[in-house]
Amino acid sequence: MTQFLAQTWLLWILLIAAGTLTLLGRTSQYFHYVRNRFLMALVGLLTVSLIVFSLMEVLPGDCAEKYIAYKSTQGETITQADIDAERARMGLDQPFAVRWGSWVANLTLNGDLGFSCAKRQPVNLALGDRFWLSFMFCIAGLMLSYLIAVPFGILSAYVLNKPWADRNPQHTTARRLLNTLGLGLAKALDVVLRIISYLGLALPNFLLALSIILLYVFAGESAPTGLFSDAWRNEPWFAEQGFQWGKLNDFLGHIWLPIFVIGWSATALQLQTVRALVVDESNKLYVDAARARGVRGLSLWARYPVRHSISPLFNSVGFDFQRVFNDLPIVAVVIGLTDAAALLIEALAMTNDQELAAGILFLVALVVISMNFITDIVLAAVDPRVRKSVLGH
Amino acid sequence: MIAAIFGKRRAAQQTSQDADYYTAGQFALIKARFMKKTVGLIAGSVLMGLVLLGLFAPFFSPVDPTINGADSDYRRGAPQPVLFWDDNGFSWRPFTYTYAKEQPKIDFGALLQSGNLDALDQLTSSGALDASTQNKFTVDKEARRYLQFFVKDWEYTILKIDTFGIDWRWDRHLFGVATGKIHILGTDEDGKDVFSRTLHALWITISIAIVALIVKLFMSLLVGGVSGYFGGKVDTILMAITEAVRVIPPIPIYLACAVALAQIDLTPVQRYFAIAVVIGALDFAALGRRLRTHILVERNQDYVLAAQLAGASHMRVIWRHLVPSFGSYIIVDTLINFPYVILAETSLSFLGLGLTEPVNSLGVLLQKAQDPDIQQNMIWQFFPVAVFVLLIMAFVFVGDALRDAADPYSERNK
Repeated sequence: MTQFLAQTWLLWILLIAAGTLTLLGRTSQYFHYVRNRFLMALVGLLTVSLIVFSLMEVLPGDCAEKYIAYKSTQGETITQADIDAERARMGLDQPFAVRWGSWVANLTLNGDLGFSCAKRQPVNLALGDRFWLSFMFCIAGLMLSYLIAVPFGILSAYVLNKPWADRNPQHTTARRLLNTLGLGLAKALDVVLRIISYLGLALPNFLLALSIILLYVFAGESAPTGLFSDAWRNEPWFAEQGFQWGKLNDFLGHIWLPIFVIGWSATALQLQTVRALVVDESNKLYVDAARARGVRGLSLWARYPVRHSISPLFNSVGFDFQRVFNDLPIVAVVIGLTDAAALLIEALAMTNDQELAAGILFLVALVVISMNFITDIVLAAVDPRVRKSVLGH
Repeated sequence: MIAAIFGKRRAAQQTSQDADYYTAGQFALIKARFMKKTVGLIAGSVLMGLVLLGLFAPFFSPVDPTINGADSDYRRGAPQPVLFWDDNGFSWRPFTYTYAKEQPKIDFGALLQSGNLDALDQLTSSGALDASTQNKFTVDKEARRYLQFFVKDWEYTILKIDTFGIDWRWDRHLFGVATGKIHILGTDEDGKDVFSRTLHALWITISIAIVALIVKLFMSLLVGGVSGYFGGKVDTILMAITEAVRVIPPIPIYLACAVALAQIDLTPVQRYFAIAVVIGALDFAALGRRLRTHILVERNQDYVLAAQLAGASHMRVIWRHLVPSFGSYIIVDTLINFPYVILAETSLSFLGLGLTEPVNSLGVLLQKAQDPDIQQNMIWQFFPVAVFVLLIMAFVFVGDALRDAADPYSERNK
C-alpha cells in the first residue's frame, strides 16, 4: 500500500486538488473560476509536453545508440542487431504516441521525468537542486529589472508629450524658468535612463558578462566566475562550528554577476512595457475626469493611471520569467555556472540528451504556467470582473 | 530628416490646421506624429544611415571582405589612421602612412650550433614566436599614401537575377589608395579588413531579420486570422497550441532546430534562410494572439457581413477586409520586434549554431570578442560591437517613437 502510494502520489494530489475545487465551486463563483483555470493549466501542461517531446525527436541520435556507443568504448564489438535489441529493450521502437503517453503517465503518477542517457542516471537526480538555483537566479534578475523599470517607466510615461520648455504666457517669467528647469531635468533623466537600460539590451548578455570578467582581469583580480571560489567549493554548508557564513559570503560574491547581467538585459523590455501601459492608461477618460475634479500632480498619477497599469504588469510575471530564463543559458556558458540552464545548453548542443533537455524545458514551462495560474487567481480574488471575462460563466 | 528636426514646429502647426488632417489615413497620422519626436528622428537618421551603409556596403568598403581581399602582408594589423596634418605639414587631401612588416629576428643559426633544447625552450617561452610578435609593423611617416575618391578597385555585383540574365557589376569605391590597401580599422588574423567586413555584415544581419519578420508575420496572420475568423473549436485548439508555445523559452527551441539543421548538408545561403525561417516561424505567439483578439471583434462588424453576403470567400474576407483594418498596427509591431530578432540571430551565432565563418554577419563578428587573443592584442576587432550596439539602440528608439506615434490618443495630452 505504501509502495503504491509512493508510486502514484502526484496523481492523488492533482485529483484531490481538482475535487476540492469542484466541491467549493458549486457554491462559489470564485472557486468555480479557479477550478476552470486549474484544468486549463493542466491542459496547457499536456500541450507543452507534447511540443517539447516532439521537438526532441529532431535531435540526432537516440538513447540506444548512445548506450551502445558507450559500451563500444568499453571494448565490446557492436552490430546493428545489438542496437535494435537495445532499442526494443528501452521501448524506443514503439510509435511516438505510445512513448509520449508513457512519459506523461510516469510524470503524472510520481513526477518522474525519465532517464538521461548521456548522464546515465534519472533526470530528477541529474538535475537535483540545480533547477532551483536557476529559478532563484531568474527571480532575482526579475526583481532587479522591476526595481529599475517600474519607477523609471512611470517617469518616462509622465514626461512623454511634455515639451522641453514651459512657454505658457499665463505664467510669470520666474515660474516659466522654474518649470522649464524641472521639465528639462525630468526629460534629460528620462533619455539618459532609457539609453542606459537599452544598452543592457543592445550589449548582448554574453558580451556584458565577458566585459565584466575582462575588467576584473585587467584590474588583476580573480573574476567571480562560477558559483564558488576554489577555497570554498568543496566545503560543506554546515561544519562542526555551525553554519559556514564564509561560504554564503563567497556565494553571494559570485552570484551577483549573472543576476546583474540578466537583470539588466531584461530591464529594457520591462521599461518599454511599463511605459506603454502607463501611457495607455493615462490617456483614458477617467484620468481626465479626475483631473477635472481637481486631483493634481503626484496623487493623480499614483491613484489613477499607475494603479490601473499594475494589474497587467502583475499578470505578465510568468512570461517575464520565461524571457529571463531564455537569456540565462548563454550567460551560464560564459560565466561557467553549473545550473540547469548550463545543463540545458550541454544537453541540446553537445550531448544531444533528449530526456534531460525535455525535462528542463518542461520544468520551465511548469513554472511559467503555475505563475500564470497564481497571478490569475490572485487577480480574480482582487478584481471580480476577471472571473467573468476569461471563461464566461 | 535634419530639416525635419528644425522645422518640426512649423510642420506641426500646418498639419493640425489643415482641413485634410481630419480625413488623413492611419499612415499619414502616424508619420505626422513621428515627425514631432526629436529622439525618434535622431535615431531614425542613424538607422537610415546604417541601413544605407549596409545596403551599399561594397561601394563604401575599400577592401574586398572575403578571403580574396585578405591582405597577407598586413595580418593582425592595427588601424591605419587617416590624417590631414602631421609633422611634415598640412594637406587638403587626407592621407595615411605606409606600413611595412618587420622581419622577426630569430637567430636560428645559434640554435643549430648549440643544439641544446634549453635554448629552444627559451625561444618558445620568450614569446618571440607568438602571432602578435611575428606580425609587427613599422610606420614610414615620410611615405604618405594619399586617399583617392571614386577609385577603381575590386569588382562587385550590384544586382544579380539569374532568371532574367541580369548581372550588373561595378568596380568604383568611395575611397581607396593608389598603392597597397587601406585598413582604416585594422585587419583580423587572416588579413581581412575589419571595416569592410563590418559594413557587409550589417546588411546580412538586417536582411536575416527582415526574412525572419516576414515569416513571422505570415505565421501570425495565418494563426491569428484563422483562429479569430472561424472561432469555436478551431480557435480553442489553435490558442491552446499558441499558449503552449508562448511558455517555452525560445532560445532552447532555436538551438534544438539549429542542431537538427546542422546534420543536413546545406550551403551557406540555404543555411542562412533556414535559420531566418526557424527564428521567424516559432515567434508567432504574441502577435498571433493579438490579431486573433482584433479579428474576433472586427468579424461582427457590418462590413464583414456585407462582404460575406456579396459572396466573398473566407480567404478574401480575411485578406482584403480584415487584415487592412490593422495594417498600421502590424507594421509598428514588426519594427519594434526588429532588435529582438537580431539578438536571437546573434545568440545562435555566439553558440556556433547560427551563421558561421566565412559568412559576414554581426553575430559571427561578435563571436570573436570572446577570444582572449583578440581581447588582449587586437582591440580594434571590437568595432563591430560598437556598430551592433548603435544599430540595436537606433532600432529600439525608433520603435519607441513609432509606438507612441501609432497611439491614436497621444495627441490629446499636449
